[in-house]
Amino acid sequence: MNKGLILSLTLLMVFSLFSFTVMAQDEVTLTLWDIRTAADQATPAVKDAIDRFEADNPNIKIEHVPTQNDNYKTKLRTAMSADNAPDIFMSWGSASLERYVNAEKVSSLESYMTEDWRSNFMPAAMNLGIVDEEVYGVPVTNVSPALVWYRTDLFEEYGLEVPETYEDLKNVAETFIDNGISPFALANKDKWPGSMYFMYLVDRIGGPEALQKAISREGAFNDEAFVEAGRKIQELVEMGAFPDGVNGLDENASQSRTLLYTDRAAMYLMGSWAYSGIKNEAPDMVEQFSFFNFPAIESGEGDPSNLVGTPGDNYYSVSTKTKNKEAAVEFLKYLTDVQMGEKLIEIGNIPPFTGVGDKINDPIMKKIYNSSQKANYIQLWYDQTLPLELAQVHLNTTQALFGMEMTPEEAANQMEAAAQEYYGE
Amino acid sequence: MNKKDLLNNKYFIAALFLLPAVIFSLVYLIIPIPLSAYYSFFKWDGIGAMEFLGFDNWSKLLSDPIFWSSMANNFKLIAISLVVQIPIALFLAVLLTRKIKGASFFKTIYFVPMLLSSIAVAFLWRYMYDPTFGLINGVLNLVGLEQLTRSWLGDPDIAFYSVAAPVQWRFIPLYMIIFMAGISNIPKQLYEAAEIDGANNLQTFFFVTLPMLRSTVINASVLIIVGSLKYFAMIFALTGGGPNHASELMATYLYSKSFTEMNMGYGSTISVALFLVALIVSFLFLNLSKKDVRN
Repeated sequence: MNKGLILSLTLLMVFSLFSFTVMAQDEVTLTLWDIRTAADQATPAVKDAIDRFEADNPNIKIEHVPTQNDNYKTKLRTAMSADNAPDIFMSWGSASLERYVNAEKVSSLESYMTEDWRSNFMPAAMNLGIVDEEVYGVPVTNVSPALVWYRTDLFEEYGLEVPETYEDLKNVAETFIDNGISPFALANKDKWPGSMYFMYLVDRIGGPEALQKAISREGAFNDEAFVEAGRKIQELVEMGAFPDGVNGLDENASQSRTLLYTDRAAMYLMGSWAYSGIKNEAPDMVEQFSFFNFPAIESGEGDPSNLVGTPGDNYYSVSTKTKNKEAAVEFLKYLTDVQMGEKLIEIGNIPPFTGVGDKINDPIMKKIYNSSQKANYIQLWYDQTLPLELAQVHLNTTQALFGMEMTPEEAANQMEAAAQEYYGE
Repeated sequence: MNKKDLLNNKYFIAALFLLPAVIFSLVYLIIPIPLSAYYSFFKWDGIGAMEFLGFDNWSKLLSDPIFWSSMANNFKLIAISLVVQIPIALFLAVLLTRKIKGASFFKTIYFVPMLLSSIAVAFLWRYMYDPTFGLINGVLNLVGLEQLTRSWLGDPDIAFYSVAAPVQWRFIPLYMIIFMAGISNIPKQLYEAAEIDGANNLQTFFFVTLPMLRSTVINASVLIIVGSLKYFAMIFALTGGGPNHASELMATYLYSKSFTEMNMGYGSTISVALFLVALIVSFLFLNLSKKDVRN
């Protein structure tokens, strides 16, 4: 090869290395990992926060790396275990965050928590970002409780009232069954949709304490509340409150909502995200949908204002790997400020921030926001509250309850046995 | 040895070109096997500290009823696949290698399932199986066979067979192509000789085509056996192994243990067991079929 050419190439390489080092001294790049792909609803709001932050801090670049939800979990886990964590990452709070905090992968935000910043969040949401009394993650999106969605026009047609109690609910279900309509739409292949019924029944029967005591081991997972919840589910299954073969239907393929759109089902217990699903899939039917809180059980201890669901979702945290913690925390403030809240509301996402209610125009969204504010307690999904091993047992046994493959006692005992093994009793 | 000699040495050049492939298979295919065996002695969630358990995972595996029932499902899948895929693929291959009108058109059509992605095929079947709106129950209702309508994926008694069906549908074309290649390699003289001897079509098939395809059929069977033991994609997409483990395979169980429950140690134990089962079964099968040839 021509010597001159080699020489010039070498020089070029040396210079490019040199220029890179010079650049790196001035510019800070923060890597941000989350699930805000183009298809994600909240993406524009996060992009907007990044733009605002970069405009105000011209020497800092945010390198945004979005990954699709399920792959994200694997990717983050792999990076964390290989000590390749990004500067800022997203988790789902609670157990998903705790796992990384315990492995010392997450920086505490406690020292940055000014009074102002703290009061910006709904307390129920903030709680899930706290591990050992220190804040490790701040919630940004998705106040999404599970609610009973229903077809208002079908209720009118059969002269039905919104049920206040479980007995009312059974009467409503009875009427629909007599008219050849399935009372509830449910697609339980992935197990978590059916779990919502179980969680609400446990709450209404035993209150939030039932689960808390079972986890703290003062109580047990085969206490009366859990067994009775199982009995009520099977009572509903036996009366025909659910469509055939629920355990084979896929919620992700909208096999449940299709039943609602075609007048074959009237009610649907599902997270508030169902609303955006309905808006997308059946825009001309949106008016025919509303929701009510899961009914009370007269003899039960649970407060009917209690909700099950996500008080706030997608917690953003700073990893211990970052070299620019100050800048990363500063970015988190942009991600949780008033402008971000407004942007999210504009998109149709309810942020877990206080004092944004009056900015919501959509009546259903406003109703969801108000129900969440009014709730005495928001129970996070069991499959996120419980350790992974127990969460799976909970999901499996609940699916078996719907399939009538286990008695309520068997299901509860299996859950308790798994808990005893897990807690090493 | 100077540089020039080295570059002229053909073994060195060959080694150089093989290196990327060797590194790739070492890192992604070979090393993970002993590594999984190593992990199987630990309790490990994939990120935290590893806790040594000795043979605990293994003794748990041997007394895990779900593992045994999933292995039984794997063997059921092998049996179904051998009985369904090989005869149908053979029939189609013989049909399409004859000089019939539009053979190339049908070749393409029959190959389509193989071209679609597993997940797309799974979704196609998911909608066909829908108990209320699905094609299958719809047709049954239309022709007055209401009593045959089922919740195909929701009923634990039949869920496994419902998920096994699309697997057959998807893989028949693969073996069809393999058999077609095998048939085109059979010397024409044999057919001519058979014709002169007055053999009819059926006799030609059984006395010429089938014996000549013997090794191809054996290879295809090994592919089916190993493939069925490792099978994952469509079952995972259709039922995820449910309801209540009714359609669980070793691979779906391994996935849910490792990646849903984050029990990497136990997951590795299942994967090593799966590897051993596949190894033993294919070894036995190959040995048995070899013996026959010598006789």
